[in-house]
Amino acid sequence: MTYKTDEIWEDKWVNTTCGVCYCGCAAKVRVVNGVPVKIEGINESTMGGDGPGLCGKGTAGLMYYHDPNRIKKPLLRTNPEKGIGVDPKWKEIEWDEALDIIATKMKKIMDDDPNKILFTNQTMRASDGPHNHPYFYAQAFGVKNNGNFIIGGGSLHCGNACHMLGGLIHGAWSIAPDWRYTKYVLKWGSSKGTGSGHSAMTNARLRADAIRRGIKEVVFDPMGNFAGGKATEWVAILPGTDTAVGLAIANYIANTRGEMDILYLKAKTNFPYLIREDGTYIRNAESDKPLIFDSREGKIKEYDDKTLAWENCALDGEYEYKGEKVVPCFVPFKEHLKQYTIEWASEISTVPVATILQVAKDWVDNAQIGSTITLEGKKYPYRPVSSVTFRGSQGHSNGIHQVAAIDLMAQLVGAEDVPGGTLGWPAIRRAYPGGNYEQTCKAGKDGVIVPSVFYSHDPWPVHEPSLPATNMGCVDVWTHCTLSHIPYVDEMEYIHEKFGMKSKPEMIFGIAANFIISNSDWDTAIKNFKDCFVVQNDLWVNETDQAIGDIILPDVSYLEKDCWSSEIDAFFFSGSPSHENWYVHMQQPVAKPIGESRFFMDVYIDIADRCGVLDTFNAKLNDYYGVADPELQIKPGEVLTWKEIGDRFLQWIYGADHQKVQDQGYATWNKAIEDVYWRWDIDTRCPVYMEYLIHDRRAMENIFEQTGFDVEGLEFDLDQYSPLPTWFWPESHKDLDNEFDLLAFSYRDILHTNNTTFQNPYIDEVSKMCPYTFTITLNTTMAYERGLKDGDIICIETKAGVKETGIVKTMEAQSPKVIGIAGQGGLWADGRPIAKGKGANFCKLLPSKLKYFDPIAGNMETAVAVKIYKV
Amino acid sequence: MSKNIHELEQIMFPPDGSGVKPYEWMINPTRQRQWIDKQGVFLWLAFFFSEIGAGLYFVSLFYQYKPGLVLGWLITLILGGLVHVAYLGNPFRAWRMIMKPNTSELSRGIWIIGAFAALGLLQMVTSGGFNIVFNVIMGILCLLVISHGFATMKVIRALPAWISNMVLPFSIISGVWIGQQALQLMFVFGGQAELVSGMEVWAEAFYFIYFLCLVLYVWGTWHANEIGAASIKMMLSDELKQITLIGVVGLAVVLPLVLTLIMWGGDTNGFMVFLRLASVFAGDLAVRYIVMKSAVYKPLLERS
Amino acid sequence: MPRWGMVIDVKRCIACWGCSIACKEEHFLPPNVFWNRVLIGERGKFPSSSKLILPILCNHCSEAACVEACPTGATYVREDGIVAIDDEKCVGCRACLVSCPYQQRTYYDKEVKDREYFPGQGKTELELIGEKLYPFALGTVIKCNFCTERLEDGIKKGLEPGVDEDASPACVNICPVNARVFGDLDDPNSKINRLIMEHKGKQLRPEFGTEPAVYYID
Repeated sequence: MTYKTDEIWEDKWVNTTCGVCYCGCAAKVRVVNGVPVKIEGINESTMGGDGPGLCGKGTAGLMYYHDPNRIKKPLLRTNPEKGIGVDPKWKEIEWDEALDIIATKMKKIMDDDPNKILFTNQTMRASDGPHNHPYFYAQAFGVKNNGNFIIGGGSLHCGNACHMLGGLIHGAWSIAPDWRYTKYVLKWGSSKGTGSGHSAMTNARLRADAIRRGIKEVVFDPMGNFAGGKATEWVAILPGTDTAVGLAIANYIANTRGEMDILYLKAKTNFPYLIREDGTYIRNAESDKPLIFDSREGKIKEYDDKTLAWENCALDGEYEYKGEKVVPCFVPFKEHLKQYTIEWASEISTVPVATILQVAKDWVDNAQIGSTITLEGKKYPYRPVSSVTFRGSQGHSNGIHQVAAIDLMAQLVGAEDVPGGTLGWPAIRRAYPGGNYEQTCKAGKDGVIVPSVFYSHDPWPVHEPSLPATNMGCVDVWTHCTLSHIPYVDEMEYIHEKFGMKSKPEMIFGIAANFIISNSDWDTAIKNFKDCFVVQNDLWVNETDQAIGDIILPDVSYLEKDCWSSEIDAFFFSGSPSHENWYVHMQQPVAKPIGESRFFMDVYIDIADRCGVLDTFNAKLNDYYGVADPELQIKPGEVLTWKEIGDRFLQWIYGADHQKVQDQGYATWNKAIEDVYWRWDIDTRCPVYMEYLIHDRRAMENIFEQTGFDVEGLEFDLDQYSPLPTWFWPESHKDLDNEFDLLAFSYRDILHTNNTTFQNPYIDEVSKMCPYTFTITLNTTMAYERGLKDGDIICIETKAGVKETGIVKTMEAQSPKVIGIAGQGGLWADGRPIAKGKGANFCKLLPSKLKYFDPIAGNMETAVAVKIYKV
Repeated sequence: MSKNIHELEQIMFPPDGSGVKPYEWMINPTRQRQWIDKQGVFLWLAFFFSEIGAGLYFVSLFYQYKPGLVLGWLITLILGGLVHVAYLGNPFRAWRMIMKPNTSELSRGIWIIGAFAALGLLQMVTSGGFNIVFNVIMGILCLLVISHGFATMKVIRALPAWISNMVLPFSIISGVWIGQQALQLMFVFGGQAELVSGMEVWAEAFYFIYFLCLVLYVWGTWHANEIGAASIKMMLSDELKQITLIGVVGLAVVLPLVLTLIMWGGDTNGFMVFLRLASVFAGDLAVRYIVMKSAVYKPLLERS
Repeated sequence: MPRWGMVIDVKRCIACWGCSIACKEEHFLPPNVFWNRVLIGERGKFPSSSKLILPILCNHCSEAACVEACPTGATYVREDGIVAIDDEKCVGCRACLVSCPYQQRTYYDKEVKDREYFPGQGKTELELIGEKLYPFALGTVIKCNFCTERLEDGIKKGLEPGVDEDASPACVNICPVNARVFGDLDDPNSKINRLIMEHKGKQLRPEFGTEPAVYYID
């Protein structure tokens, strides 16, 4: 068997960026006679797996190009009826006609109220094209804030609470352990380094080296599969109870052992800030700055007073300021922790007392408080412990407190953005040598970090909740939502009415989102969106398109995409959190677009032009990249393609090297070690004591009182607006009773990204070789006791009466009180025959009442009380 | 949607025996499929026919009964040989199978069958074919041809169910037993009642040896190792249970026993001889079917 | 002459299936044909159960059961240790397939050839060009060849298998966590021999006496 070569007239490799999940690993594609035939990573790049490594689903990405089910022409719904199970009766139309209909519609709505147009993106698209652009595209139409984004999976599959605290603490979208120097990692409902999360394969590569080196990795998770199954120790925990264990460990550190990184607490947190009785900061009347007691001088000073040395910031004591009794907020904080004993946490979480105690001890012992490490000639505090979370543990109605508790143990030992600790990823994006695009974080109000680039809106400074709500997502009220949950809430109309939201959505302009089936209860999603005129750019007709789509525009897959911008501003999705050189990859087309498909950025430009807002959009683009060279700016009246814009902007971003960068498909330059371990170099303080929530609570109470909002009826838990990380029962647990006695939860399978991967035949066939991917997992003993066995078809039913069927697969490594479903199966769109009928859908089981959402960040409760029975 | 879930169920959880759950492949004991499923049935039939043909030839030698030789020779070569060739992916390259007699049992088998074909033809066409030297050579060749199928299977170490020491004795006795039955029936058709009755003592002996070998095979495989035991268990699994009970227990063991007892002492009856042949014929096919179908590979994961 | 072998570091492996899929692309394998797989199982009882992951491929045994079983000599061990199949000599008797304790062989017939990745929708450009670029002979047995073509082309260019991407097997290249190392088993100083020594590398099912060239470390 040898390669036949006589008929080959082209055989080349094209460097690009993987677009199968949001991580955007370096990828190169082999093209033979115009046909893409193989995908690998790029050996030279640290962005992604080891050497030319790429994960299975990235490798399988080839099939996005070859799928005959891709739509090739714009489709128009001719059946005015919408809903699941209704045939849209698609009619193929010409691009011109489609864009004409869309622009006419948009112009009409714009003239009335642009906030009536919703825009979507989906998480996968982060690596698959422009990143923040849909947000300021919407602004070009006059849309206010970020509340008009109904991102597919933005609640269930993304991490509002994680991102909020990631931003406030690390100035970063996400966090990762410093694999290279850490010794002890705790993962809570997260698979960082074992297949999921941002920069998934970069982390997997770094983690593999760490595990080989002998680090200990303890995973708290309801199941021992992707993360737990690879951990040095898997600890079964009930979903949503991580706060309890985290607080008990924090209590052990702060009160039982009393071993903390005191200098860190004094210098890098807001713990020394003085608070009055009601918990709020006392502030200097003029500068409005919080105050700290200088223990050397015995004087109260502004927190950033130049004469205030770090070691003199008092963490204890009681003082008087202008007649008021004040204390450092660490005093009540430490006292508050005392109620959280290990025995108490064990009862809630089902984690044995001995396990929690051992982890707590190991944590403190491994933290090496006081130790230092010298890297590249520079001395850093060395704290080789890291505690990280992501979608799993933060996806609960107590999400903020989950994340705060998990972060707290790292705060107490000073393991934040120092070697061995938890790293923000990354907080700083330096410019290419000779280039111009640089994003650095800075200290903001009260010394809290303001992230350099963030998705949709900055977590700091916090905007005060205000009325009226101007958009569907009501982010004027829920100011901490990275992406709003309100569009998926059953009581949306009531909320809109109470908060004076006048812009009832009339149109959705989306990019391949599948928000009908990928968030929560499908009926609510249909109810909330079906009256809109829905336009989507998509590869296939997905479930959302089939149920409510009006016009579907054929999009190019990442393999056909010419996208110079894909990772320039997405460094916190794709970059390495470790001290490795910068790599920024472009998406270069490896083949011609399928059918008449067009890159959505060019469609964006075309529609903006037709609607008369292109100049505004172009001005925002100039501004976003900070293009100061008039030669390179897009000028009023110019209509450029995305590629033409890139030809100019890349000159700005990469300077003289722009051609070289374009030729090789990526840019690489040195990352300074200071940009990785920046904690002690940038003068900021972590708001561990969440004082801002006291003010938010007051504002919310005002709003509720003013509008007569039925706080009790809707069971809105204002108590969660607490400055102290506190234990709150997740809503799903409150629903448990004798009949609905199990908690269903979902997890990320390494093979799948949301639901697009279900349509990939390579992934489909290996998914069948995985015992759990397409099945519903039950603990073996629990299943046996209920008379269930492998292969049985069961129905899962929620208290709201929502049902989903699936096939049982038993496993030992799962808590007996839960059932697990991987990702977003249970698909039914006719346009995706490979995906159809595979797996079970978890999202639909999630109830959509407001009380099931975290009252602060809007995180959905992603566990649900269910009963199961054989069908 | 429920239609799709049943399709998925069929892929992920096929009924026992009919296939392997894709996620259990080589994780749990995994069935051998190549030599019994789909086209694999050709091999099952080829091994069977070459065995009974050679069995008939063998027994006919003792009676110097030429029609038996001819029929046995034809069954072995036409039904056995050609069916085997039909199973091959490239039948026209079948000649290449003689290349590796030093390591390949299959290759050795081809040499033996070739010799059997050539010498058998010579014996049949020469007038003094039944001389002692010829008979001994052909007798040995017949036994080798009979055991060829199982010998090929026995060398496959990967399948513990096939490596039992009882495989070869069992194979030889089954060939001889069915060959003897076939010859007995030929004598029935030839109206040679005395011979038919006289042969019955051999039938009694062969039956009991056959039965004993079968029991020893099952017993030995069950006790050999856990994978062997898994094979025996699979014989009684949902899909194979019927074939095991009706085919093996009913047709290969019980019915021939009943008929043998009825005809005990030479009280033969043409119809019952026919019935017994039909029964052991089908019974032995069933035995071979389940032996091939239930052979499992040792999983690759260390579970304990 | 080197003897090529591989070490698979199960501790590093996260079961992403990159090896399986990259292998399919490298050799244009039809649906449901795998030269590389990942076995997933578990051991023990809750709560101290553990997940088992085992990436498998042809072991390129020096005492290969398949070579022994092959009646025509089509399957043979090359001088460099690779167990190869000469598809011009293969009669398709499948004795090798049945004999392999690791079940790493596939019989390639019309049914396999006619399979479509998008069933009922015809073959894609990828499948069609694959049949031209990397044809298989009907009625023969196929299996992992340690990417012989990559190795040979690479060596011709002066590259080193196991070090240079263009001279190494596709599954080794694609592994994002460096769980696969390729090299010369006959060279006592090769990286794979060092890994085998250091971590007590084990062969899969040594009781079959096949002497695999693939070692596992944990």
